[in-house]
Amino acid sequence: MRTTLEAFRRANRPGPPEHSVRLRVACLGSVLVAMDAAAAMGQVSHSLAYVAMGLATLGMVFSYATRTRPPGWVKGLVAVAAIAVSVWFVHAVSAPALAISSVEDPLTVLLVSVLVVHSFHVPSRRDLLFSLAASAGLMAVSGAQAIDLDFGLYVVAWAFFSLWGLLEMWTSASGGRRIPVARVGSALAAVLTATAAIFLVLPAPTVAARVSLLAEAGIGGRVGVPGALAGDAGSPSQLARAGSPDGATRIGGYLGFANTLDTALRGSLSHSLVMYVRTERPSYWVGETFSTWNGESWSAPGTSHELREQSPFVLPVPEGDVPVGQSDLQTFYLVGSTADLVFHAESASEVWFPKSELFVSDDGTVVSPIGLGSGAIYSVNSVVSSPTPTQLRDASGGPLAPGVEKASLELPLPYARVHALAESITAGDTTNYDRVESLIAWIGAHTRYSTDIPPLRPGQDTVDQFLFGNRVGFCEQISTSLAVMLRSLGIPAREAVGYVPGSYNPVTDLYEVRADDAHAWVQVWFPGYGWQSFDPTAVVPLANPAPGAAALGDVGAALQRVPLLPTAAVVLTAALAAALVRWRRTRPRTWTERIARSAERAGRRAGRPRQPSETLVHYADVLDALVGRGSAPWGRLATSVEASAYGGHEPPPDSQRQMVGEARRLRRRRPRR
Amino acid sequence: MSLRVRPTRPLAPIAVAAGVLGIWWLVAHYGGAGWVQALGDLAFGAICVGIVGPGVVLARAKVTMVTAPTDGIAGKPLEIHVDASTRLRARPVEPGGEEAFIGPVGGRRPPDGRITLRPEHRGVCGAVTLDIASAAPFALQWWTRRIVLPLPATVHIAPRRGRPDSLALRHHEDAGEAADWVQSDVGQPRGARPYRSGDSRRQVHWRATAHAGELMVRELERPSAEPVTFTVRLPRDPDEAERAAERALGTVVRLLDGGASVVLATTEASGPVVAGVADRRSAGRRLARAVAQPAGPGRPVPGPGRPAGQAHTR
Repeated sequence: MRTTLEAFRRANRPGPPEHSVRLRVACLGSVLVAMDAAAAMGQVSHSLAYVAMGLATLGMVFSYATRTRPPGWVKGLVAVAAIAVSVWFVHAVSAPALAISSVEDPLTVLLVSVLVVHSFHVPSRRDLLFSLAASAGLMAVSGAQAIDLDFGLYVVAWAFFSLWGLLEMWTSASGGRRIPVARVGSALAAVLTATAAIFLVLPAPTVAARVSLLAEAGIGGRVGVPGALAGDAGSPSQLARAGSPDGATRIGGYLGFANTLDTALRGSLSHSLVMYVRTERPSYWVGETFSTWNGESWSAPGTSHELREQSPFVLPVPEGDVPVGQSDLQTFYLVGSTADLVFHAESASEVWFPKSELFVSDDGTVVSPIGLGSGAIYSVNSVVSSPTPTQLRDASGGPLAPGVEKASLELPLPYARVHALAESITAGDTTNYDRVESLIAWIGAHTRYSTDIPPLRPGQDTVDQFLFGNRVGFCEQISTSLAVMLRSLGIPAREAVGYVPGSYNPVTDLYEVRADDAHAWVQVWFPGYGWQSFDPTAVVPLANPAPGAAALGDVGAALQRVPLLPTAAVVLTAALAAALVRWRRTRPRTWTERIARSAERAGRRAGRPRQPSETLVHYADVLDALVGRGSAPWGRLATSVEASAYGGHEPPPDSQRQMVGEARRLRRRRPRR
Repeated sequence: MSLRVRPTRPLAPIAVAAGVLGIWWLVAHYGGAGWVQALGDLAFGAICVGIVGPGVVLARAKVTMVTAPTDGIAGKPLEIHVDASTRLRARPVEPGGEEAFIGPVGGRRPPDGRITLRPEHRGVCGAVTLDIASAAPFALQWWTRRIVLPLPATVHIAPRRGRPDSLALRHHEDAGEAADWVQSDVGQPRGARPYRSGDSRRQVHWRATAHAGELMVRELERPSAEPVTFTVRLPRDPDEAERAAERALGTVVRLLDGGASVVLATTEASGPVVAGVADRRSAGRRLARAVAQPAGPGRPVPGPGRPAGQAHTR
């Protein structure tokens, strides 16, 4: 007990006063940057952040002025304030329905308050280190809210001040004056290397089991027809309608997020960012599915049910689906106006949504009652089943679930040619899964993807045109052709639209979904596993890449774009220039230097390098002993060199050349073993 | 010569860093926030560099001896100058001394290189053992490395000047009747005189004190023309030997101050040495080199409490 008390006292013993102004400026800089970042991420209000920044600056000045003799009352006041803030924090986070969002804001306020209060009592170096650590905590809390790379500016600024502060700590601790530039460079390189190594090794962060990041921002106006689809950026209450081939009339130009999907045309998609998705594994982000095909377009079921409850909304199991599989949580951060569809991976089971009502259709399509825009956040828990090919082969041939047969096998036409083609392609297959794979393989081998095709004439069948015409089309036509071929074989299939996972950002650990990631694919029903997605157009990665692997992939892709020959020429020229400069700097300029260099090279060759404290004459004696010649040639040469260097006895040029030549010959002799 | 580089009390900072960053990583990992993990990676990278960096700096550091004195006194400061390739903390180990920072300061100021040694014992010093330490670049963790720096020349550390012994001066058998006796601090009793500051307590002449009514001490004398041969036999116990050497130096210095020519008989590592000493410095050097007399038949070794030396006239 006594030992513990003594250790406690020792740990709390005030350190010597810190006199370095630069160290204090660096620590204050990191604190101010962290506070500004918290305000920018919406963790605290800007006014509160500015007041806190002013107080922290004032406190740091006060601490510097009283560093040698800090007033006792300040320490007491700081302790009381810190306890009060901590008690408030515990009270604030002890709400019954605890969610991450309900902790982060009080935690930010707690850290900001502690930094402000503590800034009035930072007399020693250890106290300044605490300020740095607390600012790191504040940056981490702010970083939890960051979803784009803009936060990187704050990280760079904070890292600059923090590294400066750490370097100043050693300068101050060692009684130095200024940080040498070389030390700054080496420390920066070492930290960046270590950071990159850790970044490459660590796996990606896992999504929290339960996260509730509801945002009221980005909520648009109420949709004119509740449960209907809307989403034009200009008029969020406008009902969805077919687009025009003349221009983009939907979000990002995609025509699929509507009650019908016209496969005859496709708008040009923009590259604008639609949303970020935080998820443990990438997936197709399903918007809606279509079951009814009329030869030109797909149409959605149209019937939806209203759910009225508080988050999380527990969704009914869609028709034909099997709620068996892994639970997968996704959080969608919308950054642009989008359809009022609630996107999700596979079958959505729970939704955290910033409103008290949702519309759900029988096929699992979830529709928001309001227009969704930039700033809106919602989370979806999905049930994702990932059966193996063997399991799907074994699942073929079972009875169809109620509701599946009618919706997913009907064709408006006999499609005799399509049926014959599908039969011929799958003639050797015994299971539905193999038939699906054979058809996908055939489509991949015999068709081409292009969005640059003229729209089909009215009344022209999309599948007939695609399979027996020019065999060129876009994803809606490709996937529709697969779905119709499957239906012609009696395999339940339907069309799904949404987004591909998007590009993974290893820093933010978010998938960036853009408007041109909009996609259409096919869902095939398997007994026991429900609807399974198949994409005949593209291959989607199935595993969440590690941040390091993704970053290396990006670097590799960037390197591939670098022109090889010019770059190699530049690097080679720079290397040659550096070698030339080095040679010019280190080459022996006089005959004495040449002899000394020859002696050193001979010694190194014999395994006896010259010591820094050895004179040339002494070293020559050692070499002569190693060579084993009685005439001591190295000794004679070294004596002449010293006589020239220190005695002013310069031999004639012929003798100089002769001695240099002799040194070279001696250098090439093998030492005695 | 350098020994292994090792961290100073590494467990505490490593445990704290690992704990904090482990919690950070758990929060980032299960919170699913990429920026938090990236910040954690940055902080962890900086802490790793802060913990490991000093070891690298120390392993590459070069310290060379520039200047050092040739003589010193036990317990008294002794300054040496070294040159360091980087900023380091140096703590003298053998001989001991004061901690100091050495190496480049930065800016245009000349680098620091002065180290104050404070040898506790007499002896001959051919090298200085230093514990050099660094916490570069972030002052988060100290690493130390022990180096041995050869001195440019051997440094003799003389013993402290101890209280001089009152030695019985005995005549050498060869001394003649005509020896010229002079007043001295050691030698044969000559008379009594009033006490002076510095006189030994043992020299107080109580009978004369009672008679004179003031403190009287014995007045001694010795043959003036003859050198005093002072034989020093050091005990084996190092502490005892140190004290004996101190007393011997005090006695020899007193003899020298009294005008006597002194021949010092000591035993050095190479064997017995009998030679005159002209001043305190040479006496200190001789006593710095003196070692205990090797035990053997016919060579009595003085035990603790016995006089360290014996003076006689020739």
